[in-house]
This record gives sequence, C-alpha cells and structure tokens, in this order.
Amino acid sequence: MQKSNVEPITDFIGTQVLEPWKGIKKVAQQEYFTSGHRTCQGCESAQIMKLMAKAAGPRSIILGSTGCMYVANTTYYSTPWVIPWMHTQLGSSGSAATGTAAGLRALMRKGKMSKEPINVIAFCGDGGGADMGLSAISAALQHTEYNLLILMYDNESYANTDIQVSGSSPYGANTTFSTPGKVQRIMHRRWKKNTAAMLAAGHPECKYVATICTSSPIEAMNKVRRALSIGGPTFIHSLDPCPKGWDYDPMYSHELGELAIETGIWPLYEVEENTVKLYGKSRQIAKGLRKRKPVREYLERQGRFAHFIDEDFDYFQAKTDEMWEKWLVPGVIPFSNP
Amino acid sequence: MSTGSVEVVYRGIFQKTLAKNICRGVVFAAKKAGKIGIAFGRYSDSPERNGIPAKQFAVVSDTEEELEEYLSRYEPDNNDVTIAADDTLCKGVESWAWYGLQPINKLLADGGTLLVTSTQSPNRLLSFIHRKGTPYNLALVRSPASFSGLWVYKDDHTDVRLLGALAKVAPHIVSLEAILETIKEQWKDDSKVQSAKKAYGATESHPVSAEQGNEEIPYEFELPGWKDMEEGLVIRGISAEAQSITGRDDGGYVPTRNTTFKKFSTRSMRPVINFDTCTKCTVCWLNCPDTCFDVTPDGFYDANMDACCGCGVCEAVCPVADCITMVNEEAFDGNDGQWEAWNKDKEAYAGWLAEKIANRPPRAHGFHHVGQYAEEVKNESA
Repeated sequence: MQKSNVEPITDFIGTQVLEPWKGIKKVAQQEYFTSGHRTCQGCESAQIMKLMAKAAGPRSIILGSTGCMYVANTTYYSTPWVIPWMHTQLGSSGSAATGTAAGLRALMRKGKMSKEPINVIAFCGDGGGADMGLSAISAALQHTEYNLLILMYDNESYANTDIQVSGSSPYGANTTFSTPGKVQRIMHRRWKKNTAAMLAAGHPECKYVATICTSSPIEAMNKVRRALSIGGPTFIHSLDPCPKGWDYDPMYSHELGELAIETGIWPLYEVEENTVKLYGKSRQIAKGLRKRKPVREYLERQGRFAHFIDEDFDYFQAKTDEMWEKWLVPGVIPFSNP
Repeated sequence: MSTGSVEVVYRGIFQKTLAKNICRGVVFAAKKAGKIGIAFGRYSDSPERNGIPAKQFAVVSDTEEELEEYLSRYEPDNNDVTIAADDTLCKGVESWAWYGLQPINKLLADGGTLLVTSTQSPNRLLSFIHRKGTPYNLALVRSPASFSGLWVYKDDHTDVRLLGALAKVAPHIVSLEAILETIKEQWKDDSKVQSAKKAYGATESHPVSAEQGNEEIPYEFELPGWKDMEEGLVIRGISAEAQSITGRDDGGYVPTRNTTFKKFSTRSMRPVINFDTCTKCTVCWLNCPDTCFDVTPDGFYDANMDACCGCGVCEAVCPVADCITMVNEEAFDGNDGQWEAWNKDKEAYAGWLAEKIANRPPRAHGFHHVGQYAEEVKNESA
C-alpha cells in the first residue's frame, strides 16, 4: 500500500532570509532586470522592477500580468530580464502567484526539484490589480500556506494602452476616458481606491502589506525583502510617477514621488502581523513632526491636472486633509469613530 | 494617376499631437484638391512611450482603388517625404517592427525629400544621417524641436510650418493653396496661415548625393522566424552568471544588458559627468530607471551611452550642483564612455566638458507648469 507522503499544509521549505539593507552602500550591485526595455524615459515602473529584482535576488521567479511592464519588457523577442519571468493574463496575477508557489511545492515534495526556498513574485499594474485582478489577489492572500508576494505597480491609469482611467486614477485627472470638456471640467470624480489598506484590513491572516514609492528606493527594496522573508502571501502597493500619463518632464520622476509623500497624498505604511506602522516622511506627518506641503505643489507640476481651477485644488486639499485629520488610522483606514 | 506618402518620424508622446496635426492636415488638403487620403499612426507605435522614435503616416491617392492598393503593404516603405520632427532622430531610430538601428532615410523613396526641423547646418546633419546609396534631398525648417506632452500641447506653429514646407518640397502631394485653406478651416487662426506661408518661402532644399552621409553601417540583429522560436515562445533571458562575476572592489561592475535593443535612439539629451566633483554617492546609479550606470574599478559611475535614454533623472537626483548636466544630443558624435576619456587625460576632459556645457543648445523636455508653453512661444517669437 502506498504510504502517504503528503506533508501537512504547513510550510516545509521556509523562506529566504533577506535582511534589510542598512544604507545605500550595502545595496547589492547585481542587476536582475537590466537595461534595454522599451519603456518611457524616466519610467518609475521600470525602476521598481529593477529594485524589486535586486531586492529579491537570483533565486526568484517573477510573474507579470498584462500592462506596461509586460509589453515594454518582452517586445520582439528581446528582454532585459535576467531571472525567469512569465506573462499571465490581466486579472490573474494572484492566481499565477498561487499556482506557481503550489507548483514549486509539489515539485519539491515529489523530489523533482531540490528543496530550496524560491521567491515567487507576481506583479500587476493598477488596472490589472486594483481593478481586474482584485478577486484573484484576495484569493491568493487567503491561501496562507504559500509563500508569495504580489506587487502592484500603480501609475494611476491604464498607461500601456494610452492612459484610460482606472480605479487608482486620482480625482479630476485627465485621461483618455476623462478628458475635460467645455461643459464639464472634471470628468473623473471618484477618489483613488485605497487598495493596500483594503487588502490588509480584509485579510487578517496575511502577514505583510506595505505601500512604497520609488523615491525611497532603499525603503522600497527593504519592504520587498521583508515581504519575501516573513512567509505566506504578501502584498505591496507601489506608487510610480508616469511621465507619459501624468504629463511631466521625465527628469522629475523622482521628485514627483517625493512630493506625493510630502503632500500626504501617498502615505507610506506597512502592516505587519496586523500592526500598522507609518514610516519615513509619512510617519513624521502623522506624528505632527512634519507639515504637509500643499497638494497644489504636486498637482501643478503635472499636465493631467492642467485644467484645475482653484475650487478643484481646494477640493483635493480638503479630501487629503480628511485622510490625516478624520481617518481612524491617519492615511490608512478611512473610518471614524462615532 | 498616382499615390504619394509622407512618413512622420517623431519623439513618442512629446510630439504625438504634432505628428497627428501634420498627417491630418495632409489628408484634409488632399481632399480640397479632389484627392483621397488617409492618416494613421502605426499600430505598434501605440502604446508609444516618451522619447521612443515613433511614426505616423499620411497617404494621398487620386482614387480610392489606388489608396487601397497602396495600403495593402505592411507599412509605407517608399515615402515621397520623410519628416524628422526632431533632428536628433537623424542619428537613426530603433523603431518598432525594426530589429536594429534604422537610418532615418531608410524608408524614403529615391529622389524623395528628408524634411528636418533643425537649427544645425546641413553638413552637420549629414554627419549623422546614414549614407543612403541613392540621391535624395535634405530640406530644413529652421527651428528647434517642439516638445510637449499628452494633455497640454505647445502650439508654436511647428505643425503648420512643416505643412507649409511640405507644400514646397512635395507639391504633387499637397499644394500651398490647399494647405493654407485647410489651416484656416482647421485652426481658424490667421497667424497660423501666415506661419505656413512663411515656412513655404523659407524652406531650403539641398541635394544629397548617393555617397554623402555617415559611413557607419547601422547595427542589425537577426530575429528568429516562427519556426525557430522555442516551445511556449520562450525568450532567452540574460545570463545570470554574467551578472555576478564582478564585485565592487575587484574591477567595477558592468551589468550584462539586452543585446538586441539598446534604447539610445530614444535620447535627445545626454548626461555629461564631472568626475572631479563626483562624490561616488551612488544616487544616480540606484535611481536610473534604465540601469545605465556602469561601476568603474575606482568606484565612479559612468553612464553607458548605449543604454542611456536621456531621461535626466540622474541630473535631478544628483546632490552635487555641477556633477551631472544634461546636454542636447546634437552636440555629440558616437557613444564613447566618458570615464575612459577622463581617466586618459583629465585636463582635456575638463576642457571638453566645459565646452559642452557652455555651448549647450536649448532643449525642452515636456510639461513643467501651466502657462509654460505660452511663455516659451512668446520668448521664441521675440
């Protein structure tokens, strides 16, 4: 009779232990996503791919749903990827991550692969993640027996197909679906979806959720390293300034990321084992140690807000103020106590 | 009975509206002359990206049948006129649906006209433009490249100036009368009509012989046919071994890069680096979205000119005031490394650097703030 050799559904492989890099000089030199991608000048999503691959290291498998980071990086039989990468459909970064992690586990259990922890990362854009792939990501975050990371690179529109509005587009932004007209100036009136906090609050067994921005590259890499080390399914939401869709001089990619944080529009936080912690400048803002810059300083730099008049800036400012003054957890959870 | 076509090569996103205005203008003007035309962006150029060389076309025929016949080809490949909306495109383009560096005059018909907006001399441009092997004409519209973005357009009349020049070099495609009438109808702005008329008068055309031009053979690479492709359409990644050979203390670090797409033809500005003021802080290296900085054996960061696409992030993030400066790409020949030149002769390098920075021609790179384009147009016309 065949002996059951199925190990219990607990993690038998473990994860890679990726210690945080303390300072820029400690960052690994090796590149696993290199030059030669057909992205825009100053593309911060390509930058986050580079940082993510660098942080994860060589023993990693990357999966990517359709979007800029699929199309621009594998065009015409040509690629900047060093570590294995596979395309998956627009809404299926979650399923691809779970499937790959499960597949690796099965191969190792059956002895077809030597046992070793291999990082599984699936990335998706805001269209693929915050809109289409939300259910698959939710499912992936419930399957706590698999080690995986889902990284959503959010450039606030369907940028690959020429800037259509997504659930992550900010209020009032000009997109091909919300072009300001003579009768209606503001065509997109929804407030940006609060994806990371929603996933953290909704999946109490998920051990790690974080928001990052390329303008804090070392923090961003260390969050990726933490997510991969802690075990189970994890989620990271990255804000990536996009010179094409946001319409600005590509040289300001880094600066706009900083402004998004300093104005309080993009809060940096991590939720580890259900404990929420703001970090970096966002922490200083929450503690009252840093004054938020007016949102105007961020919005006026971008062509997508060029149609804004005073009342639009005021509305945007008031909504941002609410995030920090009214929310139960400032910048994170939009509830208030009665 | 004839068909004529115009190819507009432009910087993706920055000049998308400009290219659209030109191609639409050609089609409307053709209609006025009783012809039929069509304007289109190449599908594979959308999604287009900031700075990447992209193309739009306008095709004009006497009859619908001729137009349909012409459009049955993969893309217009013997154009009467090729417009380069930015003169740095003359160095060649890594175009979509082309594997390697495509000379700017590659798809130009024999005896056709390459029309360039530029403030440089024809001879300087011909030192970039690859030798064609057949004679053609080089025509110039005297202005710097007009750059804006996806949502806010810089209306500096470059679109109508190019249309006016087009009527001069290719009257069989569009006549001046038809163009002027179209502009009046489309823009309802008499100053734009005057700009087109002025450009028509001012356009200089220079004959270029078969042998003239840059003698360099543009690189190409072999794309496997579908029968050679691997199961599951596997694309071979870059070797991981090659990536982990060198450490910081034993000879620097040069990442192995994509061998079949270099990206430098996206560049219209390049960083020049002052290694004398560099503090080796690594910020440019870490923040470059294109991983273009090579680590040198002595710990400097040298922008690799095959990989750099000229975004300018390095200049913006560099904490030293005069270490990295972006300079118009037209000031350079070739893609030689700067650290090597500095290492060889520091004094000569300092002189070269100072000269490049002092004489750098102005260049815009998109939207900074509301009202900026209006200010620029005002300053340019003053």
